[in-house]
Amino acid sequence: MRVAILCSSPYSETGCAVAARLAQLGNVPVGALTLPSWDRGTLLRKVGQWGLRDSLQYAVAKLSPGKSTIQKQIRNPYLASALRHGDGIFRSVTEVARAYKFLVATCSDQNSPRAVAQLKQWSPDLAIFTGGNILRDQVLKVPRLGILNAHLALLPEIRGMSSPEWSLLCGVPLGITIHFMDSGVDTGPILLRREFAGADGCDSLADLRNKMIAEGIELIAEAVAGLDRGTVSAVPQADREKDRQFFVMHEHLKAVATHRLQKGQLNLVGGRCDGSGGANG
Amino acid sequence: MSSPESRSSRNFMTTKTVRVLTEAAGLLRAPQRILPLFSKLASDELRTTFEHRHLYSNVASTIPTADALRSVVDWIFRAQRPDGGIAAYYSLLTGYSESYPEVTGYIIPTLYDFGRLTGDLAARHAAYLATDWLLSLQMPSGAFPGGLHASDGGPDNNARPSVFNTGQILQGLVRAHTEMEAKTRNAKILKSAVAAGNWLAAIQQADGSWTGPAAYQGTAHTYYSMVSWALARLAAESGDPRHAAAADRNIDWVLAHAQPSGWIDGINLRGHPAYLHFIAYVIQGTLECGILRRRDDAIQAAAKAAWVLLRKFETHKRLLGTYEPDFRGGQRFACLTGNAQMSCIWLRLFEVTGDLRYLNAALKMNEMLKQLLPTKGRRGVVGGVAGSYPIWGVYQPMRFISWGCKFLADALMLEQRLTREFETKFETKFITKSEASGCA
Repeated sequence: MRVAILCSSPYSETGCAVAARLAQLGNVPVGALTLPSWDRGTLLRKVGQWGLRDSLQYAVAKLSPGKSTIQKQIRNPYLASALRHGDGIFRSVTEVARAYKFLVATCSDQNSPRAVAQLKQWSPDLAIFTGGNILRDQVLKVPRLGILNAHLALLPEIRGMSSPEWSLLCGVPLGITIHFMDSGVDTGPILLRREFAGADGCDSLADLRNKMIAEGIELIAEAVAGLDRGTVSAVPQADREKDRQFFVMHEHLKAVATHRLQKGQLNLVGGRCDGSGGANG
Repeated sequence: MSSPESRSSRNFMTTKTVRVLTEAAGLLRAPQRILPLFSKLASDELRTTFEHRHLYSNVASTIPTADALRSVVDWIFRAQRPDGGIAAYYSLLTGYSESYPEVTGYIIPTLYDFGRLTGDLAARHAAYLATDWLLSLQMPSGAFPGGLHASDGGPDNNARPSVFNTGQILQGLVRAHTEMEAKTRNAKILKSAVAAGNWLAAIQQADGSWTGPAAYQGTAHTYYSMVSWALARLAAESGDPRHAAAADRNIDWVLAHAQPSGWIDGINLRGHPAYLHFIAYVIQGTLECGILRRRDDAIQAAAKAAWVLLRKFETHKRLLGTYEPDFRGGQRFACLTGNAQMSCIWLRLFEVTGDLRYLNAALKMNEMLKQLLPTKGRRGVVGGVAGSYPIWGVYQPMRFISWGCKFLADALMLEQRLTREFETKFETKFITKSEASGCA
């Protein structure tokens, strides 16, 4: 199976971990297509998501690790096993590529003709999206089977952003869905859909998200292996027309979601999320 | 011979030119306004140059809602004129305008809400003065006049009755009636409100619209759903079925203009684009009237339009200042009043439907609006809501407008109430899924 990786930055931990994990399992990617290290959109997004201090710490840890411990060089501690390499860790996709001998290409936009041409040159059977731009049809059509995404919620119930947080507020079980991407937001056919049982002991939403990302990478590896063996197949989503898209959660609601997580109130119905409150009648 | 359309277009251009010249002359009369004007122009230029919207814009609270609310309501207090009416605006060129009956009317519920929330007696007193002033303006027919009030305070013999102003003043009168404890005064207010409602019902067209000389530009508008809302409120107080029927008839007419895209046609403003303010009027009037009259069709139509705008706001982190029919592109400035109205609409839809996405969007919208409130400057600037952002945008340029402050205050108070209720409910009353299915 020829697999390509799409990353939001060469220093994306998730991108590194996916590439490394697949390689560890014997499925070395044919290439990784990444946005530049200093992509303005990605930087702004990260500062908005993590705050300025955490973003700076991340940048320093990745660009200039110095004598800091391995723990300090990894933002998501649950990715440590995938990122560990000899005595150190993989800090960038380029380092993973060097170790496992695959190519890395940088593009300013994953939908650009240059990016599409690069992907076509690799002629992948499958691509895995770990971050970047909203993908358009011209990219989605390149890999023979499609592009996979690990969505941190059960589909079709919770689509879009802040999905673990919305799951908590809406009383939808926490879960991860591996699906093919299409032109909608998280509306593509589903390969694997699994409830997440690891929320116990998570003291923050960031911790929960980190755990889910690590679990998502394992599920991606499982999906790739399943596709390779022909043991899994994609199922189109029900209620595709229903508007179940969620958006980035305001910190006020996040505080409520955190409270639920810490109290272990994972199955309480908080608010509606069936799309009927909007324009769907 | 020129056609009526070209005459009307010429008149519009003449009015606009006269307005621009008058405003510019205001700056010559009061040169001390030059510095604040340039300061505001510079700060908006800087802000628009360096601001970068991204997925996580406005998700964090930087200004306490209670502080922002206090600052906006203080602006309204300062805009109250000696006659008791509230000025329409503070212009960076000409200063405060005269009192504006329409806005004075619908600011009354805002003042009472603020008084209830904070125990501030000054807010109740301001509402009292505003009501007194409005009562003095009522025409023998029951109607209220349109436009700004004459500056000399005397009777305006050229005043013409206005459907929209009467509707918005009716909002204030009905609320003042419910708040008033003195029986004599209370009866006077209710009598005035009923007279206004009777006049509105009497001149309504058979199809439910209002047109003719008392309608703006002589034509029917779907944003008069705001009048239906006032009539529905009056009906709840007066118990008169004619008021309820008039509200229902108008909403039927408005709903006949709803398009499959969610857009509700029929704003019908000649010479103006469809500002977000008017689009939000249509939605808000339809929604609130629908809630009061228990009309699911109206609530659904309002929700459909509001949802389209929510998606646009969440995707682009802003709403345009104007939209073309079917919510197609418009002008890129922000109509801050329309934004505050959309926040009110989303918050009410959250209250009605329980869909948390409405609450989430409103929290972010309020965050954005709070950040745009001036914290220093002249008395007409601090805590004011500009007509446009940047201030030179085409909706009420160079002005801080009282109705913008009204809708932002409403949005912030709704936010406070609903978030408090949500948290309380969350702690104590939320039921588990299994309990819910057991009940079923």
